[in-house]
Amino acid sequence: MTALLKIENLSKVYDDDSREHAVIDNLSLEVEQGEFLCILGPSGCGKTTLLRCIAGFERCRGRILVDGREIAGPGTDRIMVFQDFNQLFPWLTVERNIQYALKCQGVRDRRKLADIAADVLAKVKMSGFEKHYPYQLSGGMKQRVAIAKALALKPAIILMDEPFAALDAITRNTLQQEVLAISRQEKCTIIFITHNIQEGIVLGTRLMLMQHGGRVAMDLRNPIPRPVSPSSPGYGALWDRMHAALYATQEV
Amino acid sequence: MKDSVRSLLQKVAFVAVLLAAWEIAARAHVFGPRSEIIFPTLEAVGAAFVKNFAKGYAGVTLWVYLANSMKLLLAGMGIGIGMAFLCSGLSMVSRTFHNLYSLLVAVADLLPGVALLPVVIIIFGVKPGVIVFLVVHSVVWPMSRNLIDGFRAVPRLYVEAGMNIGLSRAGLLFGIYIPAAMSYILSGLKVGWARAWRGLISAEMIFGIASAPGIGLFINQMRTNMNNAEMYATLVVIIIIGLIVQYGILNPIEKHTVGKWGMRKS
Ligand SMILES: Nc1ncnc2c1ncn2[C@@H]1O[C@H](COP(=O)(O)OP(=O)(O)OP(=O)(O)O)[C@@H](O)[C@H]1O
Ligand SMILES: [Mg+2]
Repeated sequence: MTALLKIENLSKVYDDDSREHAVIDNLSLEVEQGEFLCILGPSGCGKTTLLRCIAGFERCRGRILVDGREIAGPGTDRIMVFQDFNQLFPWLTVERNIQYALKCQGVRDRRKLADIAADVLAKVKMSGFEKHYPYQLSGGMKQRVAIAKALALKPAIILMDEPFAALDAITRNTLQQEVLAISRQEKCTIIFITHNIQEGIVLGTRLMLMQHGGRVAMDLRNPIPRPVSPSSPGYGALWDRMHAALYATQEV
Repeated sequence: MKDSVRSLLQKVAFVAVLLAAWEIAARAHVFGPRSEIIFPTLEAVGAAFVKNFAKGYAGVTLWVYLANSMKLLLAGMGIGIGMAFLCSGLSMVSRTFHNLYSLLVAVADLLPGVALLPVVIIIFGVKPGVIVFLVVHSVVWPMSRNLIDGFRAVPRLYVEAGMNIGLSRAGLLFGIYIPAAMSYILSGLKVGWARAWRGLISAEMIFGIASAPGIGLFINQMRTNMNNAEMYATLVVIIIIGLIVQYGILNPIEKHTVGKWGMRKS
């Protein structure tokens, strides 16, 4: 069986970057269907860059294959949930934001559009906000809608770049639980970047630690059975191990 | 709602005070015997207003002048706005075009249209098209300036989100760039409209075209005949049309777009 996502010898140098080292230098990675890959790593090590390369927003060297086909630019098989709360189009209501994405995919039937929007909004617990404009929502609500939009498109992979980093701890925990529930129900493949070790352990079926230059410092299957909580056996040990490794990469 | 009522009352009160001051000045004959020419009474201006529309000048009512002006204005604004969208859109596609077009906008926007008129008339002759040319000239540059600024200011995030959901180039223009730049488009329209309206009237005053007499020509005829009450009454018509466009068209558009979207430029 071939991996859903296959990255071969990816290298990325920003045009306006004066440093001689590539941000990502010869990175190879495979992600299986249904995996929830959490990527951690020190600030500036190239996590966002990697995700943007996968999304097709950046020009880069190497090959990125989804389902065996090499990608050429952005596509709806890889939907990005950005870190920025302002990723919804402010001129469209919550419902229209989702339907617009579907319409771009050629879904024309009104009933179907309404049904899909209602369905995905229910999944992220945003029913009742269909007619709201994004400026009327809180940051956490905007992120829920962004996730709903991604779900509506049924992409092969959902890419999430620290989507909850700017949220308070309680909202963050709630959203983690919801994303976890959704990922188990939908069996979707998710690549999720986070700075938070707890978040990585709770969500990820696989944990990867990135280092400067896009080198993979650690890549392991999450040994703790879901649902994970801080009282799960092995949680403390794994947390310590991740923490130590994260600090080790920081020193380089 | 209460705020809007208050703001309306303030405006009405302000206008009433101005009109009262005018009337007092008129009745007091502050300028002696010339006062009737400088400050005709409100009643005289009101009567002239009615007369303009009922009888007009030399058998042609103000309606005819107004209709002619409006036709030229709408044609000019339509062409000007269309050209601005086309050229600003193109300058998003090609860097070279953007470079050259920005220069053209910066230079052309400074040129007073009336100064160009003699040249245009020599080329095209005294035809209504000359007035249309002037309206286009007054609309296209400020509109382009705003469109280019607006398109440039569209957050990268919206464009990427648009590409991610599979929008084509044209889809990005209509689905992302235009709505995202709406507040810039509206300020371009406001500036463009004001310039076009004024430009039209000055052009008509200077080069009144007999085959399509417009409101500017009417003012000029009243002015040269010292029919000042009629002249003032025509200026009132110009003000009323300006207010209708501002409060009846532009402001509602703004309210139902950027206002509703929480995207008003602060
Ligand atoms: N558009 C860009 N142009 C030039 N350099 C860039 C650009 N974007 C990122 N970089 C550089 O690439 C490196 C990696 O950036 P990236 O945003 O991928 O880091 P990150 O791992 O996501 O960090 P963080 O955890 O802080 O979000 C940084 O050194 C940054 O300075
Ligand atoms: Mg980042």
